Amino acid sequence: MTRTDGETILLWTLPALGLIWLSAFLLFPGFVHPMSPTMSADEVAAFYRDPENLPRIRFSMILFNWFCVAFIPIIAMMALQVRRMGHRTPILSYCIICCAAGGPTLFLIADLFWLLAAFRPDRDPELIMLFNDLAWVTFTTQVGYLIAQSLFLAAAIYLDRQAEPVFGRWVAHFNLLVAVALVPAAFASLTLEGAFAWDGLLSFWVKNIAIGLWIVVMGWVMAKTVLRQHRAEAAVA
Amino acid sequence: MSVTAVDPAPAGGGLSRWRNHPKFELWLAFWTMIVFYNFFFILFFAYTRVQPPPEPAWAIPRVLEWFTSHRFNLLSGFAIVFLVTGLTGAANALIAYSMRRMSVSPAFAHAYLVIYALSAVPGMLLTCIAITVAAMRPERDPQVIAWLYDFAFMAFDGTMGVFLIGSLVWMVAILLDKNRVFPKWFAYLNLCNALTEVVVAPAWMFTEGVFAWDGAITWWIDVAVFMIYTTVFITLLRNMIIREDFSDGPLPD
Repeated sequence: MTRTDGETILLWTLPALGLIWLSAFLLFPGFVHPMSPTMSADEVAAFYRDPENLPRIRFSMILFNWFCVAFIPIIAMMALQVRRMGHRTPILSYCIICCAAGGPTLFLIADLFWLLAAFRPDRDPELIMLFNDLAWVTFTTQVGYLIAQSLFLAAAIYLDRQAEPVFGRWVAHFNLLVAVALVPAAFASLTLEGAFAWDGLLSFWVKNIAIGLWIVVMGWVMAKTVLRQHRAEAAVA
Repeated sequence: MSVTAVDPAPAGGGLSRWRNHPKFELWLAFWTMIVFYNFFFILFFAYTRVQPPPEPAWAIPRVLEWFTSHRFNLLSGFAIVFLVTGLTGAANALIAYSMRRMSVSPAFAHAYLVIYALSAVPGMLLTCIAITVAAMRPERDPQVIAWLYDFAFMAFDGTMGVFLIGSLVWMVAILLDKNRVFPKWFAYLNLCNALTEVVVAPAWMFTEGVFAWDGAITWWIDVAVFMIYTTVFITLLRNMIIREDFSDGPLPD
């Protein structure tokens, strides 16, 4: 039996998105070896003026601009799953909806700053560095909504008082772990060098790998849960 | 906290006892809101000292000096703001829930939820981002630092519509409500809060005097109203949760 409510379609957008995001990440010349915050204004300007870099900066950031909000439908489905949990109020699903737009909106703002830096690379290097700093600081330090989203989801799972809970308990533990991994990035602006700097082990690699892992794991958990529910409904019908 | 625990659960450890408390979700959202507002007031007023704000009329050297002398507190304080921002979701969710208890369309709750969910981005985070970017490189071109200074404080004071419309949505819901979730006078306090966003508009036109972003009218009256409003709605939400009677009945579907 095939369903026409579209949830399966939304789920299948995820692998496609993963591919697009990964390509955009690899395409942006400032990510694979993350740009150092210790670069001078002239070095930053040279990065944007480099004819090798410029088209890659623009195309990768346009791709991110198009697709960075595309995970929201999956989070909307997640809020619906929270609604199905054995809670007495819709409060926790409201909390998740509140967080859903925050992360992508802030990433979009960072994306705009990167595109602005690349828009007129012949601009005064001080201004190019300003846009570059605004982009990196916004991209790196804005982990608050992602942390809260994981915490609210974990709380929702712990409070799911049903014999057969919607998500397994391990999903809550996993979300707590991801929340912890995102914490150091908030402090990235305090230093220009080391693990906490925006190109550092904690603020760049641990944070971004945690976000990537969260998307893969939660996408898989969502797919499994939604397909299980569809099968159960089909069996009843 | 006057919570009388009606525990429907079979006697278990402390963990399962609180987990099964019928109002646990409400108290969790409530205390998360309290934690956020404590962070907010301590970080903005005491730790980073960005409130009460420095003056818009300052010459650039004075602005540079302000950034230099507050540098560490600005950077570390706003790092903590970035960490706890998402907790505002709990406050918005609880207020939206209060509207779901009212005899009004769910559209009010949904509208409030969306408006306040986006309000923190221009109204708080852009301010912190601009100040962070200015403070992290004191050697930056002074003109650029001065621009970031204006950007920061005008984003904070000059983001008006989200709080204006959000408060009006809550006000109308309370006035229409027949379930008496909140007293009617609180609707008019919402109107006062909405009007502060009208009063703050001249800050976009004046750099000194009572209408500037640090002015006696624009800042001091608005902050007084905001403090009273926040204290009152926290108290009323607490009363709402205490009054809420889920008993130990079955969970909703």
